[in-house]
Amino acid sequence: MSSHSLTLPSASPAAARKRRLLEILGALAIAGTYIYLVLNQPTDITGGPGSASALIALSGFLAGAVLLIVAVLPTLPTSTVVLIPVALVLNIVLGQFVGSTLVPFYLDAIGTVLVAVLAGPAAGAATGALSSIVWSFFNPTVLPFAAGAALIGCLAGLAARYGLFRRFYLAPVAGFATGIIGGVVSAPVAAFVFGGTSGVATGAIVSAFRSMGDSLLAAITKQALISDPMDKALVFTAVAVLVYALPRRATVQFPFVRRHRVLAGRNPEQGA
Amino acid sequence: MRLHPLTTLAAAGSTAVITTAAAYLPLSLAVITAAVGLSARGGTSRRLLPAAAAILVPLALSLLVLHGLFFPEGDTVLAQWGPARVTAEGLSFALNRAAQLCAAVLALLVFSFSVSVPDLVAALSAKGVHGRFAFVLASTLSLLPAITFRLERIRQAQEARGLVIRRGLLHRAAAFRLQAVPLVSALVEDAATRAAALEARGFGGTGPRTSYRDVPERPWEPPFRMLLLLAAAAAVAVRLLLAGD
Repeated sequence: MSSHSLTLPSASPAAARKRRLLEILGALAIAGTYIYLVLNQPTDITGGPGSASALIALSGFLAGAVLLIVAVLPTLPTSTVVLIPVALVLNIVLGQFVGSTLVPFYLDAIGTVLVAVLAGPAAGAATGALSSIVWSFFNPTVLPFAAGAALIGCLAGLAARYGLFRRFYLAPVAGFATGIIGGVVSAPVAAFVFGGTSGVATGAIVSAFRSMGDSLLAAITKQALISDPMDKALVFTAVAVLVYALPRRATVQFPFVRRHRVLAGRNPEQGA
Repeated sequence: MRLHPLTTLAAAGSTAVITTAAAYLPLSLAVITAAVGLSARGGTSRRLLPAAAAILVPLALSLLVLHGLFFPEGDTVLAQWGPARVTAEGLSFALNRAAQLCAAVLALLVFSFSVSVPDLVAALSAKGVHGRFAFVLASTLSLLPAITFRLERIRQAQEARGLVIRRGLLHRAAAFRLQAVPLVSALVEDAATRAAALEARGFGGTGPRTSYRDVPERPWEPPFRMLLLLAAAAAVAVRLLLAGD
């Protein structure tokens, strides 16, 4: 169904090399920004608002996310590209519902993780980054979290690739681990760009750590380590429920699901 | 004639960047006033202000509680209850940061509430942005109301079958499952149909595309955009240089 067209020219190896380079540059931009922020934070955090760190966090993470999108989006098959807007809407609809309640969770990654499980880590990363960029049309405060969202999509895809969605009890474990990494990476954004968190419930947790004398980044990282792993464990469980509830015909249309036997059950014959 | 969508995007983006870089309370307040004024003039304030309030009120409250009550770095103590100390430094940090975020958020929202999405998509494609990004943007924005409506229909159908959302985590999870499973299966099914139709029309192909939508721009707009981007870059550079000293 989504096989390559017979009449249109296929991509050249040079273009593939360029995309790989962009992917690596994007990942380096995100990693470099994070390392710089963590190393330089003690001198800067009370240096007044609008400190240089906010700008570095914004530009570094955003540039990395954009590079990842530019590298990955043209390589995805049509069946995946068409699923991305659906995933974005699921993120927004379910995330906005939870974001407005007094729960220290976000649940704003269900669509991203769904695409990652069905179409792989690269598609997951692109969906995460795109989700933040498109969502910022309604809520510009999610824009700086693009890199963290891309990371979560990528990790969810890797979890699916290595069979963690084949056993139902492994999905929350994978979500928990993803949440730890994602939370640690997103904490500098919350600390430097926002000077806090965007929700009242998460803000209360940060306040508790601040009252014990923690620096802002330490307090927000600890809050992220409380909220994010639980949040992502819930998201991964929800996605596992959703993916297994889908008809098998719908899931095996994705080459990633077939090739890596992402879901438990009989492996359908190739090309059947 | 309306401004070219990329010009308004550049204006909103550079305003957000410059306000963040300047971190100067009067400038933030001026940007907030200008943004509210522009949206009132454009007739979007009725939709924009509630959306902005939904984002900014929790954010500002959270900042005020966080830094107003607990700011270990502050020296000038105004009041103290147990571990909570209200410090002048904390309050001014919260106020500055909240004003700055309000300014950036409002500037970007004025853009997104006033832009015509088909024009933006056409302008992006004309500037060489990959057609798939334009597809994702346009498709998401048009799917959002459709899917919200669909979720509402599914909820009504499930309620007609006896779904009552009771308190407690398990009940809520069950209610979530009853609504999310039909929604997601229908959406994945639809996406597969759409993928086949798009593929048959050469969506996956590379090569030149013809756009039937022409977005006019005035001759001064491209240099003006360049100027805005340079101003934003200069503001960032000055801020980084000052921080380096």
